[in-house]
This record gives sequence, C-alpha cells and structure tokens, in this order.
Amino acid sequence: MEIPYTVKPRPDTGLYNGKLGIWLFLASEVMLFGALFSSYVLLRVGAEPGTWSMGLMNITVGAGNTMVLIASSMFVVLAWAELKQGNLSGPWLKPRNWGYTNWKWLTIACAVLFLAVKWSYEWPQKFKHYDIWLNDAAVLHDSFKKGYHETASHSSDKGTKGVSVKEYVEGFYTTRYFKEPSDGSDGSKAKFKDAWDSGTLALSGHINGYEEAMIDVQVGQWDANSKPGVTRDEAKAAVIAAGGDAKQALDGVGLVFPKLDYDKAKRMEYLLKQAGFKVNLSVADYEKVEAHPWFWRTPRVNEDIGGQPRVRSIVLGLDHSHIQDEAGNEVHQEIEIETRHISRLSAYEPKHSTFFGIYYTITGLHAAHVFGGIIVMLYNMLPIGLAMWHKDRERFTNRIETFGLFWHFVDLVWIFLFPILYIL
Amino acid sequence: MSDSHDSPDFLQYLIRLFYMVGGVLVAGTLITVLIDVLFHMPLPMASFIGLSIALVKAGFVVAIFMHYKWDKKLIMITGTMVLTFIFFAGMMGLIMWTEGDVPRLDRAEVHVSWVVAAALLGLVLPASFTFLTIKLLSQPAPVEAAVPKAKRVAKKKKR
Repeated sequence: MEIPYTVKPRPDTGLYNGKLGIWLFLASEVMLFGALFSSYVLLRVGAEPGTWSMGLMNITVGAGNTMVLIASSMFVVLAWAELKQGNLSGPWLKPRNWGYTNWKWLTIACAVLFLAVKWSYEWPQKFKHYDIWLNDAAVLHDSFKKGYHETASHSSDKGTKGVSVKEYVEGFYTTRYFKEPSDGSDGSKAKFKDAWDSGTLALSGHINGYEEAMIDVQVGQWDANSKPGVTRDEAKAAVIAAGGDAKQALDGVGLVFPKLDYDKAKRMEYLLKQAGFKVNLSVADYEKVEAHPWFWRTPRVNEDIGGQPRVRSIVLGLDHSHIQDEAGNEVHQEIEIETRHISRLSAYEPKHSTFFGIYYTITGLHAAHVFGGIIVMLYNMLPIGLAMWHKDRERFTNRIETFGLFWHFVDLVWIFLFPILYIL
Repeated sequence: MSDSHDSPDFLQYLIRLFYMVGGVLVAGTLITVLIDVLFHMPLPMASFIGLSIALVKAGFVVAIFMHYKWDKKLIMITGTMVLTFIFFAGMMGLIMWTEGDVPRLDRAEVHVSWVVAAALLGLVLPASFTFLTIKLLSQPAPVEAAVPKAKRVAKKKKR
C-alpha cells in the first residue's frame, strides 16, 4: 500500500504528514518538559534559603556540554542540507565535499560525548561526594577549625593574608547555598550566621577512608523448636559449613568465629539462624580501610552491632581546603569524624535534597531523549535505513528533516536547562 | 520547507545561515557563563538575564535550524504550537494561583474572587483548547482542496 503524502505536502495542511506528526509530538514534549521546568521553578522559589545546593554545579563542564550539543544540532541540519543537494557521503579528508553520512557521524559523536560526560563524569562524581551533618554544633565548629585552619590562614583569595575559619567557610557556603540575598545583601550573611550557630551546616567532601568493625560471631544455644523442620544433622552441617566444630556448638558451648568482616559475619549470622541457633554479634576491633565507598547512607554507617556502630569514624577530605602534601602536591585536608556525632550522611544522590531530586529527574529525562536520538540516527546510517535513500530520495530527506526537528528540540531543552540548573 | 526554496543558491545561503546561528549559540553560552562568573547578582536579575539569553538562543534554533522562519505561514505548525503554549500557560497560571492561595503566616489571604477566577480559567482554557484543535483539524478533505486553490486564482484575476 502506498503511504500518502510522505513527500508531497498534503493540500489542506500544507505539510507532508511526517512533519505534521513530528510537530504534534514536539507539542506534547513541550508539555512534558514544561511541566518539569515549572516544577523546578516553583520548588526553587519556594525553597528555604540554605537548602538549594546548586552552587556546587561544575559550570565549566556544563558549558562544555552545551557547546557539544549546539555543535551536534548544527551538524544535523548540515547533514540535511547535504541530502537536499543529493550528497550522500564524501571523503573525510575533504570537509568541503562532506555529505550526509559525514555530518551525521559527527552528530552521533557529539551526542555520545554528551552522554559520556554525563554518565562517566557528572553523575558518578556526585554519587561519591558526601554531605555530613553533625548533631553537635561544638563538634561541627571544631571540625571546621581542624579542616580549614591552614587553608584559611594562607588564603590569598581576598588579597589579605588570612581570614578566620568562619569567614572562609562563609565565603564558599554562601555561594553554594545562599546565592540569593533574600532580604537585601546582608540576608545571606544572617542566614549563614544562624546556620553556623545552630550547627545545621554540613561538612562536604570525599570519604577517603573509614574504620569498619571486625565482628566476632558467637554461636549460641541450638533450639530444636525455633526452626521446626530443621534436624540436628542439618544444624550440624550448617555449623561445619560455616567452618566450626559441630559437636561443640550443639553441646551449647559458645563457638566464636573471630574478627570477620561485615559481609561474612552477616551471612554467617543468617545461615546459623536458619539452622536454629542463637547468634550473638559483637565488635572485636576496628579496622582501618582506605577506600572510597559509594552509596553510603546514615543507617549503614550507624548500624548497631552488639551496641557498637558498624563504622566508628570516617576520614573526610574536605572540599575547599588546599594544603600541600610531602611531595608538594595540593591535596584536600583530611579530618576524622566519629560516627556517633553524625546525624545524617548522604551522597549527592536524588535522596540528598529537593534540588538533586529534580536535577536528576530533568537531566535524566533529557539524557534519555539524547539516547533515543542516537538510536534513530544509527538506524538512518545503517543499510536498512539507507535503503529508503536508494528507493526514494526525497522521502529519505524528509525523514532526516523530521529527525532534525526532534534533535533541535532536545538541544532547545538543554539551552534552557543550562542556565536554570547551573547558573540560577 | 516548501518547494520554492529548494534551489541550490538558496541551500547555500541556508548553510551559511546555519554556521552563523551555530556561532550565535556558542557566543550566547559563553556570555551566560561570563556574566555568571564575573558578576554576582541577586536571583531575579540573574534569572532574567540568563533566561533572556536562553530565549534568544532558542529563538534562533527554532527560526533557522527548524526552518520555522519559512514555515510560519503553515497554520498547522503555528496553530499547534501556539495552542500548546496557551494551554500550558493556563495550566501554569492555575498552579501559580493555587500556590498563591496557600495561606502562610506572613502573608494576607487573597480575596475569594481570585480563587473563583482561577477555577473558571481552569475550565475555559482546556475547553477552548479542545474546541480550537477540533476546528483546526476539521478542514476540507484533501481531494477538494485543490479546487479552491484554482478558484482563488480565478478570483484574483477578476479583481
């Protein structure tokens, strides 16, 4: 069956059908993104001062990504213009003779680069960047002093040699949280002072290490009734599988598996409980771990193991602190925070705050559009898509034009996202 | 784009235009970043400037890249987009009104007439949107459409 009006404009609309279709689709997209944009604006305007943590966006990366997307948007329209002139592809070495495929590959490259920056840099960077709120203002002030004393006293940003720690913290905190002077220019200062005095400021940085519990697993009494259906032999087998002496265990003598790490201890606890044993966990010792944990949350850090926390302390490399190590490299000052002082700990994940919630929603939806665009572009580059070009050139050109319209819309969304997310 | 614009000369002109718009977009981004880095402004001012630049950039993309400049006489596109924006603006207006109507400690309550007006607007906007869309879409069938065109030419000749 012949599909009507793929090339010729339909007389009543003045457009070929595909183009009308894509414009209607774009209208629905306007509604979708518009709803998210206005949600963002409402949330931003309604946010209490000091809760909109956008000052930490990396504007250089954001601007770079904007350029990449702008370039891709230009390439896609050039690809269409070449098709319109009948140039399918040209030699790579002669840019003047480039055809559709050359420009289209460039477009795809830009789109992939855009996603790669998001996927491998922007988002993962945030997932291992932590904010830590403390439950004691005195401890917070102490930590600030430890972390920023050296940086602040050598600070040359303000021309003077050295400011107080509080002034230094105020400097970067107000640009992150209190960007809007809500009531005159002194508003942010007052808000900062409140937050400083009440200890609601967060310490932010990267967790460079921590002290994790080494757990003793003590096997207790075996109770035949606690797990009906588990025989004595099966219980024995479970203890032997865990590496213990079954005779001892079933006689009621407390068997101890000493100094296991958390995962092993928890697995063993589960196995033994399944077999009908009472199990007692206790912290034998703490082990220093140098690692950059991902996806840590407060409950994990504070998990109660026989009355002790799972993690005793955290080594935090503080943002905005610059000191020299022995080799003369600039590194972040590290401070140790005891977990009993921590009231909340969160990476810059959606759960962190309203800002990050809507940030990931909008940028994620936009990235999904870019991803879909890449798939369509690849289809139009492969023989299966190019078959249309050999069959009906004008129809293929129109197909590329409609895709271009979609791609420009994706670019358009980013044009608005960039100032909203990175600058306002 | 309509067929009259397919000549090679016009395409060359278009390509030059595309490069120019690309330059404008890059410049716009740079200006936005520069303003943010160099000046510290209150939020309303920063929003105004940032969004104005974004709007100019968006205008260029729509007008040139999406060739809207040459398509704007096509009522199907213009109508669709204008209606979408009207509908969307109405919805946004409603949200703003409801937001404004939430009583807060430090703010006087709005008069009840505003709430009634907002509710009415919420009825009128989708209704008018539906009505206009149906009206737009129910145009003469494609087969007959060729005839009025000839008639129009004939009318012109008479004059």
